[in-house]
Order: sequence, then structure tokens, then C-alpha cells
Amino acid sequence: MNSASPANRQEPAPASAVVDIRGLVKHYGNQRVLDGCGLTAVEGEILTLLGPSGCGKTTLLRCIAGFIKPDAGSVVVDGRDLGPVPVNRRPVGVVFQSYALFPHLTVARNVSYGLRMRSLPASEISARVESALQSVSLTGLQDRYPSQLSGGQQQRVAIARVVILQPRVLLLDEPFNALDAKLRGAMQVELRQLIKRLGITAIFVTHDQDEAMTLSDRIAVMRAGRIEQIDQPEVVYDRPASMYVADFIGASNVFSGHARHGLLELPDGQSVPTELNGDVKVMVRPHNLALTLKHDGSSSTWIGELRFRRHVGAMVEYEIGLPDGQVVKAIGLHGEHSSAPETGESVSLTIRKPAACMVFATP
Amino acid sequence: MTAASAPESLIERLLSGRGIWPAVPAIIVLLFVAVIPFLILLSLGISDVVTVRGAIVSQEFSLRHFSAALADPLYWTTFHRSLTLAVTTTLLCMLLGFPVAYLYLIGGKWWRRIILVLTIAPILTSGIVRTYAWIVILGGRGVVNSTLIQLGLIDQPVRIINTHWAVLIGMVQIHLPIMILPLIAAMSRHDPRLDEASANLGATRLGTLRQVILPLAAPSLGTGAALAFTLSYTTFVVPQLLGGGNYLNAATMVYEQVVYALEWNKGAVTAVILMATCLLGLVVIAGLTNLASAWTRAGR
Amino acid sequence: MTNRWPSRDWLDQLGVGAIVLVAIFTLSLLLFPSLIVVIISFDTRAFLSFPPQGFTLRWYEQVFQHPVLVGAMWTSFKVGVIVTTVCVALGVPTAIACVRGEFRGRAALSIYVLLPHMVPGIVLGIAVLFTGALFGIGPSIWLQSISLSVFVLAVMVRTVMSRLQRLDPALEQAAANLGASPMQSFTTVTLPLLLPAVLAGSVFTFVEGFDNLSVTIFTHGFRDRPLPIELLAIVQQTSSPMVAALSGVQIILALVAMLVLAMTIGLDKVND
Repeated sequence: MNSASPANRQEPAPASAVVDIRGLVKHYGNQRVLDGCGLTAVEGEILTLLGPSGCGKTTLLRCIAGFIKPDAGSVVVDGRDLGPVPVNRRPVGVVFQSYALFPHLTVARNVSYGLRMRSLPASEISARVESALQSVSLTGLQDRYPSQLSGGQQQRVAIARVVILQPRVLLLDEPFNALDAKLRGAMQVELRQLIKRLGITAIFVTHDQDEAMTLSDRIAVMRAGRIEQIDQPEVVYDRPASMYVADFIGASNVFSGHARHGLLELPDGQSVPTELNGDVKVMVRPHNLALTLKHDGSSSTWIGELRFRRHVGAMVEYEIGLPDGQVVKAIGLHGEHSSAPETGESVSLTIRKPAACMVFATP
Repeated sequence: MTAASAPESLIERLLSGRGIWPAVPAIIVLLFVAVIPFLILLSLGISDVVTVRGAIVSQEFSLRHFSAALADPLYWTTFHRSLTLAVTTTLLCMLLGFPVAYLYLIGGKWWRRIILVLTIAPILTSGIVRTYAWIVILGGRGVVNSTLIQLGLIDQPVRIINTHWAVLIGMVQIHLPIMILPLIAAMSRHDPRLDEASANLGATRLGTLRQVILPLAAPSLGTGAALAFTLSYTTFVVPQLLGGGNYLNAATMVYEQVVYALEWNKGAVTAVILMATCLLGLVVIAGLTNLASAWTRAGR
Repeated sequence: MTNRWPSRDWLDQLGVGAIVLVAIFTLSLLLFPSLIVVIISFDTRAFLSFPPQGFTLRWYEQVFQHPVLVGAMWTSFKVGVIVTTVCVALGVPTAIACVRGEFRGRAALSIYVLLPHMVPGIVLGIAVLFTGALFGIGPSIWLQSISLSVFVLAVMVRTVMSRLQRLDPALEQAAANLGASPMQSFTTVTLPLLLPAVLAGSVFTFVEGFDNLSVTIFTHGFRDRPLPIELLAIVQQTSSPMVAALSGVQIILALVAMLVLAMTIGLDKVND
């Protein structure tokens, strides 16, 4: 589970796997929205499906929930094939993007909805509603209506509503889309802590890579109906399995290069060993590119012109124009240079850690 | 386990709410109470029927009633009168109705409420009640005459009712609400920032009205005109009550033929002609509306 | 000497003012006839005249004691109820199919249901009358009711469709995810949320069933004549203020109906 392997070659699921999905295929017309994808999630894990719109992540989620019947493949939860199981009997709880709180019911009746469908006695229901609201820090709001709640409160009611039923898996469809950008960061951390506290296995869907990095134990990067890579966030960031993943996660600069006899010469003159041969693409993260001013001296012959400079807190983001027209991004620390680089100034670039560059065969 | 999901059973599909099944009862009822009757009406227009005490006894194909109608000058004058009345009514409703919609746009909350109440309430009352009000007002001892006599302007009551003018006034007032409602709908969807932009670019309020508000309201004007035209072309009550016994328009004529004279052949023909000409009128209105709202198709 | 033309702004204000004046005139035109009738309905004199003298509820009493009129009101009430029931029973499922359905003829279905309403009422009435005659079904309260139901079905369908379209489909999915069967989801989530629209639609269908003349003149039963038909006969013969009283009753009912509309879907949403 730690190596960056193309996830479509699936290994047997570990014993503690709660969710085991294999070979899911779904067509809409002649479009293959899901192209034989699969994944596993272990107990208590937070997994995020990450990808641009149209990559199939929401379709995959809806297959797990049962809203969509796949054309082929299997969804197994706790060793039980959910194929023949209808939506309302599956042990999964869905938190929708719009939260889908019933507007005509109070918070209490929203949260108790699932229990009432199971015909639990009223006394037991109210006790469990109370504790469910406690677990999401929303006590005292039982008699409010959804329209009277803030976005963050609505989200927590939506979570309490499914969590009260003790599902095996929690499925969350872009749950932060409906919130203010300002709230998001804090809420993401809070939500992760809440889920960990509850100890539930959760699968998120998002197109926002920062969100994925914050929330997940593992990220599954999806592309055109298949899972391109499924790994821990740091691994996906530092050792992306393909250019697609590298491009999707974090910013990066792409250069062409040529590998010869196991060695690849980088644009700044340094060399790095590689298994590939022939024409390759090299991706360098902006924080791996160092900017040096002319008068500070540098052995690098890789020269460019500083086009743009932006301060973000203690960091500085640079945009440098290369002689061949390409624009690259670099990140440095504030105050690391003897004098602040000016736009229009000639600067030289060095790769700080050649080993951290990502090399891919040219497709 | 890689079994594909089981195919949905028929029951599941029936209940899933995705199919056409919920609508089937309505489809069947409409078929028997609307579609088939309409086809029968068409067939009756081109045939000769014999009725005995309200039941059709025999029916055979014949175009003679149809050609008789087309040759009958009474038909032409009657339909001509109906048509002119409908067109005049529609135009007057548009001229009087649009300012109300404009007031809805620029007025505050209270104006909107007043307009909504005054527009919707008439629709919830019966046509007779609305027409009766005009009898009260225009009658021999009605409001207008009584006031004029009391003011000493005239000695004898003026005959207003049972004239063409009474019918026109009644028609316009009664069909105003149905013209105004679509206009108000359009106004409530109107983006006020467009007007602000127009003003910012130097237009006067009248200019904004002419260049921005009016063109954008064109589709809803078309809808209102279509509704007002259809209703005023086929209205029965107003001409009957305000026009006096001699005022014949298409609707009263067909009523006369079908219910009183029991001449069902003629009635069927009249109804078919009425339907066809009404459709023609709607096509014209639709065409004009299309011309006026060419901008809505600009993006295609 | 400079030419002093009124500035464009002055003319502009005048123009707008003129339009507003026309609007106010039109609104008065909508208001005053009914107002006058209501005033006259309380008049003590037995003929129509203005200004009124005295105040009495005599005419209202007469209306509600007049056997023919009361019978006609009852008939119209029955028709209204039947029409509304039929429209709810047929229209709500149809609206659901039109909005949530995923079959090919969906757009055609909407048009199909809307068509009878676009045909002039008298044409529909005549067509139904003739068809009934062909099959030996004479005009009656039932023929009247079913033809009116078909005529106004479109209104109910449109009202419910409009509400359904604004309903988040995720709500029904959430209900299913929480364990509700399709029937439970329908009764606990969909129906309660559709209720205001159904009520608003019912107001229109009831009013149309009660008040309609165009379809009714051809399909109503000879024995139990609905109110509009009775009224037509009366108005053409006498000019008793009883009719004014009846009009007053109708106007009050219309105001009540508007209150219901305002409380269910809001007056501004009446416009589909």
C-alpha cells in the first residue's frame, strides 16, 4: 500500500478492508464513465477520490451508494456484495453536496428520519438523536428548521443524520462546495477530526487538491474512469505515478529532456540517474527551483528574466520567462537574496534537489 | 465476485418513478375525452349527421355543409366581426396592459401587491359576474346614465348597452388580466441591473423602456396576446349579454346552432372553422413574436 | 435670446408619468366595476341604480333562499369538487412523470397534457357533446365534470411540475439512503413538499369547475344546471339586485381563494 503502483493492477484486499471495489464499468451512451476501476479502503480510513469534473469520481461514489447500477464489476462492503442490495438497505451513509436536509422537518426529525424508517420506539429515538447531535456539537438545535441554520450547521446535521444509523462507510460528495471559502479550511480540519473520533471509514469526493491533502489518509487520483494512483498524500505529491497526477497535484514546471546511458541532464546542468532512456519529460516543483541573482554569483547557465513576483506570507512566488518563451514558477523565502529581485532582472535558476525531480517517459 | 448487477424487474421499474407509468391514467383519459372527441368533431364537419333526441343516428360523408358555410355571407360577416373584435381587444389589452406591467417593475412592494390582487382576483370570478358588472354600469338605469342624468347633462338615458361599444369595453376589461399576468411574470424575472446599466450609459427612462425593457418583454407580450386573442375570439358571454340579441359573433353563432337549433352539422362546421381560424391567428401572433424576439435565438 | 426647450429629463419624466397614469387608469378599470356591483348589492332599492340608497342584506338572503339558485350553487360546488379530485389524481402523477421521468417522449407528454387547455373551451365542449351523442351519453353533471377536468388538467400539472422542478432530487435520494422505500420516500418527503403546489392548483381547478361557462354551456346536464348557466338565464331576463348579491358572494370567494394562494405558493409564483 506504500508503493506508487498503478492501482488498476489490484492486489488482494487486506483482511481489514471494509470496502472492496473491483472492475467497475459504467457506460452512458457510448461514453465510458467508469472504465474498470477499483479500490479498497480499510477500517477507519479516510480516502479521497480526486479528479477534475468528468473523471467519474461522483459516478463511482453513486455506485457505492446504489443510486447507479454499474454495467460490470462489484462493490463489496464487509465481505458482502452490494450488487443486489437496494439503496435503502445498504450500510452506507451519504452526505450530499447540497446536504439535502428535508426542509419541512425540524433538525430532530431530520436526524431521526432513518431511525423512524426502521420503526424504532420513540423513546429510544430521542435518546439517540440527542447523542448524535452531541457528537457533532449541535445540541440545542433540535427544533430549528434547516433554513434557520448556517451552512456549517447544516453540514453537521447532514452528518449526524447518517452517522446515527452507524453505517460501515460514510460517503461525502464535495461537502465543502456549498460553504464560504473562508470557512472551508477550518471546517476541513474539524471534519477530519470528527470522522476520526467517530472511527468510521469515509470516502470523500472532491476536485480540490488542497482539500484532498488536508482530509485524507490516502488519495485516489482519478482520470477518465480509472484510478491513476492511490497513495498517501505525501507519496502522491512527491512520487506521482504519471504526468497526469503530477500535473494535477500541486503546481509544477515541465521540461523536455533526453536521457542517455542511464543519466538525464537537467536544464540547469546537473545530472540525475534514471531508468528511462530517450526523450523524457521532467517535472520540477516550484519549491525545488532556486532563483539566484547575477551578482550573487551562480554556476548555473540556465538564465531567465524575472517577469512577476508575488509575496504570499513568508514565501515569494516568482514567474520567470525563459529564452525559449516558456514561463516557469519558482518559490523562495522572503529575504533569502541580498537584494530583492526586480522585474525585468536577469536571474539564474538552479534545481535544489535533483533527486526530487519527476521523470516520465514521453507518451 | 464479479457478477454484473441483476436486471431490474418490471415491478421495480414501474415503481421507480422514472417511467411513463404515473402519467398513463391521464394519457388514457385525455385520449378519450379530448383527442377522440376532437377527431370526431373534425369528422362531423365533413359529414352529414342525423340526430334523434340528442343521439346521433346516422352519419355519412358529405362536404355540403362545409361548402354551404363557405358560401354563406352570414358566416363571413360573423367571422369577420369576431376577428376584428378579437384583434381590437387584443391590441387594446396590450396597450393598456403593458403600462401596468411597467408599473409593476418600477413600483414598490405595495404597488406589486395591489397589481397582483387586482389582476388575479378577476380570474377567480366567473365571466358572467364580470360581464354583469358592465350591465350594471352601462345599462339604461345604470351608473353611467344615472350619473349623467343627475348631473343634468342629458335628459334621457343614452343607449350604451347593446351596442358595439359596450361589447368592446366589456371585452377589453374582462381580458385584461389574462394579458397582464404573463407580462408581470416577465417583469418579476427582469434583471434590474440591466436598467441601471442602461441609465449609466446615458439613456433616459423612456429610452430604457424602449430599448431594454420592451424588447425583453416581447416573448411574454406574445404569450399574453395569444391568450387574450384566443379567449376574446371564442368568448361567448360578453357579446351575448352586452351586445343584445342581434349581435352575432362566432361563439354565439355556434351556440345557437348546437344548443338551440340543434343543427349539429352546421355547428360542427362552425366549430371547425372557428378552431382553424383561431389557430391561424395564433400562428400569426407566434410569427410576430418570433420577429420581435430574434435576439433570443442569437446564440444558436 | 436662447431657445428654451424643456430639457430631456423633463420630457422623460412626463413620458413615464403618462405611462403610469395609463397603468393607474387600467387598474381602476379592473377595480371599479366589481366595486360598484358590491356596493349595489347592499342597495335597498329593487333596481339597478347609482348612487345607492340605504343598506340591506336582503338580496343576499334572497339568494340563499332561492331554491333554484341554491340548487345551482350546490351543483357547481359538486362539479368543482369532482374536477379538483380528478385533476389531483391524474395531474400529480403526470407531473411527476414529466419532471422525474427518463423516457424518450417526455417533452411530447408535457405538450400532450397542455393541449386541451390551449384549445378554445367552446370547441372542447362541442367536441365532447358530439362524442357523447355518438355513444349515447347525453350531457350531464358527469359529462360536464370530466370535460372540465380535461380542460384544466394542464393548470394542475403545470403548477405541480414547476414546484417539482425546484425540488432538489437529492432529497429523495437522501431519503432512500436513510432507509426509506420508494413509497415511504414519496409519502414522507415528496408529497409534503408538493402539497402547497397541489393546493394552489386545486384552487384554480375548483374555481374553473365552479365558474366555467365555455365548456359548460355544451356539456351541462339539463336537470341540474350549474350556477353560471342559471345566472346567464337570470341576467338575460331580469335585473334584480340578487344577481349583484351573487356577484358579491363570488368576489368574496375569489378573495378567499387568493388568500389561500398567497399562503401556499405566494401570489407572485402564481405565474407558473
